Order: sequence, then C-alpha cells, then structure tokens
Amino acid sequence: MKRSVMVTSLAVMAVVVAFSLFLATRNPVNTTATQADSPLLGERAPLIAGPRLGGGAAIDVKADLGHVVVVNFWASWCGPCQVEAPSLSTFAWQERHDGVDVVGVVFNDRVGAAKDFAAHYGSLYPSVIDSGGVIANRYGVISPPTTFVINARGIVAATLLGAVTTRQLEAVVARVNS
Amino acid sequence: MKVLRSFSLWCVVLVAVAALAVVLRPSDSSAQSRIAHLETLVRCPSCDDLSVAVSNATSAIAVRHEITAKVHAGESDDKILTSLEDVYGTSILLSPPTSGLGVLLWIAPLLGVLLLIASALRLARRR
Amino acid sequence: MILTWLGRAALYVCFAGAVGGVIEQATALRAHRVSRVRWWALGALLGIAAAVGVMEFALVTHNFALAYVAENNATFTPLLYSITGLWSALEGSLMLWVLLQSAITFGVLLYYRRDRDSPVVGWAAIVLLCVGAFFTLLMMGPADPFIHNAAHVLQGAGPNALLQDNPLVAVHPPLLYLGFVGFSVPFAFAIAMLVTGRVQERWPLEQRRWTVLAWGSLSLGIVLGAWWSYQVLGWGGFWGWDPVENAALLPWLTATAYIHSVIVQDRRGLFRVWNLSLAIATFSLTILGTFFTRSGVLVSVHAFSSSTLGPLLIGFFFFVVVVGASLLAWRGDRLRAPVGVDHPLSREGLFVANNILFVGFAIVVLLGTVFPLLYQAINGTQVTVGTPYFASVAAPLSVLLLVLMAIAPLVSWRSADAKVLWSRTRMSAWTAILAVVVLLVAGVRRPAEVIAVFLAVLAAGAALRTLRGSLVAALRRGSWRSVLRAPSTGGMIVHLGVVVLALGIVTSTTYVTRSEVTLATGQRTVVDGQLVSFDGFHNITDALKTATQLKVSVDGHQLRPAITTFNGRGGTTVGTPAIDSNLARDVYVTFDAVGGNGGTSGAQVQSGLPAGSVVLGVTVEPLLAWLWLGGLVIGLGSALSFFRRRYAEDAA
Repeated sequence: MKRSVMVTSLAVMAVVVAFSLFLATRNPVNTTATQADSPLLGERAPLIAGPRLGGGAAIDVKADLGHVVVVNFWASWCGPCQVEAPSLSTFAWQERHDGVDVVGVVFNDRVGAAKDFAAHYGSLYPSVIDSGGVIANRYGVISPPTTFVINARGIVAATLLGAVTTRQLEAVVARVNS
Repeated sequence: MKVLRSFSLWCVVLVAVAALAVVLRPSDSSAQSRIAHLETLVRCPSCDDLSVAVSNATSAIAVRHEITAKVHAGESDDKILTSLEDVYGTSILLSPPTSGLGVLLWIAPLLGVLLLIASALRLARRR
Repeated sequence: MILTWLGRAALYVCFAGAVGGVIEQATALRAHRVSRVRWWALGALLGIAAAVGVMEFALVTHNFALAYVAENNATFTPLLYSITGLWSALEGSLMLWVLLQSAITFGVLLYYRRDRDSPVVGWAAIVLLCVGAFFTLLMMGPADPFIHNAAHVLQGAGPNALLQDNPLVAVHPPLLYLGFVGFSVPFAFAIAMLVTGRVQERWPLEQRRWTVLAWGSLSLGIVLGAWWSYQVLGWGGFWGWDPVENAALLPWLTATAYIHSVIVQDRRGLFRVWNLSLAIATFSLTILGTFFTRSGVLVSVHAFSSSTLGPLLIGFFFFVVVVGASLLAWRGDRLRAPVGVDHPLSREGLFVANNILFVGFAIVVLLGTVFPLLYQAINGTQVTVGTPYFASVAAPLSVLLLVLMAIAPLVSWRSADAKVLWSRTRMSAWTAILAVVVLLVAGVRRPAEVIAVFLAVLAAGAALRTLRGSLVAALRRGSWRSVLRAPSTGGMIVHLGVVVLALGIVTSTTYVTRSEVTLATGQRTVVDGQLVSFDGFHNITDALKTATQLKVSVDGHQLRPAITTFNGRGGTTVGTPAIDSNLARDVYVTFDAVGGNGGTSGAQVQSGLPAGSVVLGVTVEPLLAWLWLGGLVIGLGSALSFFRRRYAEDAA
C-alpha cells in the first residue's frame, strides 16, 4: 500500500488517544489513608469544643464559619500519627489563608505526653484536649489517626482512616469544595 | 548430501532423547504438587500481588490450609478455585478469568502477533 | 525560609535555561545562524545541580525547615540514607530525573558541537530541552520539593523502612533513571530527522551508541532492582509483575527491539521508518511508565502516590505520541527504504522475527498491566492479573527468543543457506544433546529445565562461535585487543549474559523449595540438603533501629535473619532476611515466628511452641546467583558495545 505508514500511524494514534483518555479518567487508589463510609457522611458535624493543648483560649470549632475544617484525631502513642504529623502541619500552614482550618483532637492520651509530641513534631494547628473521650465518641473514632473533612456548610464530607499526606488532603479538600 | 545426512542423524538422535525426556518426566499428579500448583494461582488476600505460595502473612497461611484441606477432600482444581472466588471475590485469583472480558487477555496476544507477522510479510514482499 | 527560596530559585534558573535554549535554537534555525544553545543547556544543568545541592545539604544536615526533609529524614538517619533520601519520595525523585536529563542534554550538545549548525542537532536540542522543561515545570507547580515547614520540628519522620536497610537504594534508582532519561536522545533525534526529512545521513547510526548507553543502564537498573527486592522483601522472589516493575520493563522491550533493528539499518539501510517509530515508542513508554509510578492509578508496593501529577503525565504522554505519530504520518511514506527483506530466514528476516517478539511481548505486558482498570470500568468488579498470566506468555516467548539467539548470529545477510548454517551449528547442536543426556542421567528431569539447558547451549554456542571469529580476525590484524571493539563483541557478550540469566531464572523457579522449620536454641536439622542450626538470639539497639537477630548457621556459614524496627515513622517493623549465596544455590532464611512469650521486637508469636524456639522460613533456590552474574555480564557487554567501532572503520 502506498501510504501504509500514514494509515498505521493514524490508527496507532487513535488507539493511544482513547487509551490516554481512559487512563486520565481513572481515580487514584488511596494508598495512605483509606476513605471510609462513616455514618456521619452527609450529616451535620458534631460539636468540637474543649481546652486547648498547651494552654490559652479554649477551642470551639464553629464548623459553619464558611471555612473547610480538617479535624484530625491523634495520640502520642500512635505510630502513623508520627508519620502524618509533618504533613498535617505543612498542609495547615499552606492553607492558612485559603479558608481551610486544621484542628487536632487528642485521643485517649496523657496531656503531658500529648504536649511533648506536639512540641517534638511542631504542630502548626491547635489541638483540643478531649476529656472523657466525648468528642471521639460523637465522631465514632476507634483508633487514631482518623481525619474528618467538614465542608464550609458544616457537613461531614469525608472520613479518612490512617496516616494522611499533604497531597491527599489537598485532593480531598479540592473535591469537597467542588 | 553429506550435510543432509549429518543433519538427519542429529534430528533422529534429538527425537530419541526428547522421547526419553518425556518418559522420564517426574509425575505431576500427586496431591502435593496439585497443592503447590494451586497455591501459585491464588493471591494472598492481604497482599497486592504475592501468591499464597510465597507469602507468610496470616491470611495466606489460612488460605493454604483451606487449599490443602480441599485437595485432600477430593475436590477438583476448578471447584477449589471457584469456591475461593466465592469467598474472597474475583480478585483473589492471580490469573484473570478466561470467560467474559478476560478472554481479551488471552486472545489479544495472539491477535497482536498475527497482526505484526502480517505487516512484516507485507514489508518483506515489497522488493 | 532561605533553603526554600534558594531551592526554588535554582529550579527557576533551570527552567529559564531550558526555555531560553529553546528560543535561542529556534531563532538560530530560522535565521540560519550558528546557535549557542549548549550554553543555555549548561545553565539549566547548573540550575538543577544547585537545587540538588540545596536539597542534599538539607538532608545531610537534617534541616527540617524543608517539609520534604521532615517527611523523609530524621536526625538519626545515616549519611548514606540521607543522601539517597533525595530520591526516596516523589518530589525528590523528579529532581534526580531532571538532573540526569539536563546532564545528558548538555553532554549530547557538547558531543555534537562540531555539528551544531546541522538542523537535525538543532531540532534534537529543542526536543531535549522541552522534555527537561516539562519535568522542571512539574516541580515548580504540583510537586514542589522545597515547601517550607514553618513548624519548629525537632524530629522528622525518617525514610520508609524498606528504603534504608539496603545500600542498593544508592544505585538502583539512578541507573534506572539514567536508562529512562537516556531514551530521550534517540527520541529527540527521531523527531529531528522526521521534521527535517534527513533520515539517510549518519544520524540514525549515531543513535545506536546512545541507545546502548540507555539500554545498558536500564538493564543494570532492572537487574539491581530485582536483586534489591530479593534481598529485602522476604519472599525469596525477585520479580512480581507488579505494575511499576512492568513500567520499567516496557521501554526495555522496545529498546531491545530497536537495538537489533538498528543493526539492520546500519548494514543494509532497511527499516528506517520502523526504527524511528521504535525510538518514539520507547520514549513514550518511559513517560507512560512514570505515569503508572506516580499517578497512584494502579496499586503497587513500589509506587509513589500523588493525585495531581497523574493527569499532567498522561497529558504529556498523549502529546508525545500525537506529535510523533503525526510526524510519521506526514513524512513516513516518503522516507521508506526502497528495498526490502530478501529472505525470511536471512539475518534481516530473523531480526524482523526478533522485533515481532519483543514488541508483541511489550503490548501483552501493557495490556495485562492496565487490564484490571479496564475490567473494573466495564464490569465494576476487581480482577488481578499476576504472575501466572505473564509467566505463561513469557515462557513460550523466551523459548522462541533463545532459538533466535541460537541461529541469527550464524546466518548470513540477504540469503539463507541451510548447509552453511548447519555446518556452523553442528558442534553446538551435538553439545546441546549431550548436555540433555547428562541432565537426564543425573536426575534433572523437569521439562522446563531440560528445554532451557538445551536452548541455552545452542545460544551460547552461537555467541561463542561469533566471538571466536572476531578474535581470529583480530589476531590476523596483529592485535588481539582490537577484538574488544569489534562490532559484534559487545552484543555477543550480552547474549552470553542473557543465557546465564535465563538459566538462573528457569532453574531457580523450577527447583525452588520452601519449608518452615521449628528449632529450639542449639538445635540443628537438615532442610532440603542444607544443614541449618539455630544458636540463640542477639538483640541490637542503635540510633537507627532495634533488631532481634537470630544466630543461624547454614552449611557452616553464619547468617543473621532478623526482625527490625526502625525508629521514626512510628516504628515500622520489617523482616530482614538473611541469604547464604554461592554459585550453586542460594539459601534464603527468614525469621517467621517465635515461640511462647517472645518478648522480641515485633516477631509473630506462635503459641503452642516452647519459649525460646523459633520458626524459620528456609527457601533453597539453585543457581539463583546466576541472575546477578548474568546481569553483570550484560552490563559489561553493553559497555563494550558502546565503545565499538563502526562498520566503516572496520572495513578500512
């Protein structure tokens, strides 16, 4: 055939175009934290209020302030919490002017140990001391780290089990905002 | 002529040796080898792509016990694999199913090679 | 903050160098003047080198002001693993990629500086700089390595446990990336040749050298990666047909096809357009591979994950293929060689068969890798495509490839003479039968092994015969040393390496035995012909890790399989296998469980065993070391091939 190269090239190009479009529309598999189907999804976020870790003004997250709130339950004895601590701080710092607040909740821990952990890993976001585990109960948290993303209207939009990364939080918050 | 004779002699010897190799081939139908073979076809449920034959995860050990029990109970290979699929889902098998969409994976290589051979022949015929 | 600004500034310099170079070269081409592009390329190289310097400085001094360092380094991380931290995570690995790309771009432009007025070199420069600019752009946007960590962090998370317990982390990624990046050179020149229409000059043949460099690095990188997995992952295997592993294999397959068909172009001027397509395909597969590795779309133990890079990388892949295919569609038919292959069983014909097998296998591996995605999109359920599928395709293919290796070096160009072929093969053919008989008599009777040895002898015979011919010719010329640079020497040595590697793979997988033994302290037993004894526990605690080691001796050699907990990252626990290796067999020992009240760091406690006894996993794999030996020989052969003489020099 006189123009077999042209025909073959165009055919291959068509296949590759279809292939690329297919791959571009695949969603990434979350290999760090898993998105869970918590019963809170779509519901109004329960109250988060309590004394601030490290002293200072008490925290009361009024989740319908028009901000997206990322709530992270952590503990000093929890290994994956160590892994995600730098990422959470980086994310909090990055988003501090973009209408995203990060709040930590200390889960089943001694205050002294929690303070040391926060100092060691340099938390750039405030954390609430959860006496009696009341907040954890409201959110149904059984083991840290568990992260909830509450949208600007105060509805729980995502639940992540396991250590999060900055990229993952960015992606989830972007999805929540859209 | 000498070349043809020499080559034919070699071919004859080759066929004889090959027949010998086939006859001496170790038998494959013992329960042990069936179990070993099945273990390479089943994925360890808590790993990404390791078979239960090589993984030491607790879930892999559990599946190995199941396979051994079923082989000793006299179930056929297909039945064992299907029952594992029912419990853990289709992704527990390391080889895609040969029916339905899975056929594509087995036909595609053949089609691809045929296509390439056809274009190569066309290329060769152009003198 | 300083580090962040320095690092980012360096990246901007690199990007500016690349873009400036493209503009400089484009205007030079238009105005038909000599271009100064290589100085822009040098600027880009200096920029990325500075950025790498900043990051390495931060890693080595454990400066947690950079978020990347806080996430991948800790104060107790040893120097080697601080340095390799540069490529332990996504953003840093992109820096290594751009560093190698800029270095190769500058190197190529420097090498061809006497040809810098040629439009082919000009267009190639533009393409190379665009590729570098794209990857730099990724780091200036979504994959910023220099994000500032405003917190006063006293301790970082440390690297992933599996990336800090084996020194091979220092060589595998750089060699792999050198291979990937190296394929951008034949690609750039292919685009340049298509754009300018100059396929008949020496440029296609120049590409062989760069392709051999990239291919050799990639081969070594893949083999070292397999060796690394073998040493640390704990299952005694070296290849899992994991998506990221396949991603590295795909360009290797098309590059192997390219290396062979370029020989035909060198000798007889055939396959011009096909070779251009292969060069474009190889580079495209490199980009596709990096998409699989970095997009998180496919599940893999080796993947970096990111959800923003995926669309950008697949977009670049799309762009590369569309540009390449369009150029081929536009120019291809006019550039074809007027002659064809004379006989299907001539050497050219066998090279065609070689290409069919390699490209066909690449297509099958690609299909198998993305099949789970396709299946899920259409049927909604998950399916796994693993070793059984790939192995059942790879096995007959390897048989055919060994057959080709046994015949092609002995066949003439342009014609197929059965008599001549038989006279050249006769000795290997009889030796092969003899080898089979010896095996059968000695009790080695599994069909896979018998067939593999038979074909291996034939293939090795062909390679040795060709080497002997080159040596004889060299001696006749008066210097035996000139055989090292003879045209086929490197290639035949690579073939020998492949034969050794193939024998290692077949033997170790056919005759592998796995057992679990329970031993009390001081007890010994024989497992699969190996004398194994357990002599007690040994605990190690240092700044980096806490490990419970077992004092095990196999055939008189001391081994220390362990369970190791690395500090940082919350204390990840990994099994550390111990290997006793010689040319005959590898004995792979893992610490699987401990009895009673273990009290050790993380080992699975098995009740029902007396305290102080352990369960060892013992895997015996014959000839496994031949894989690494074969890889080494392949590397050597590639190096020789890089330096070989051109055919023109040979005729003189």
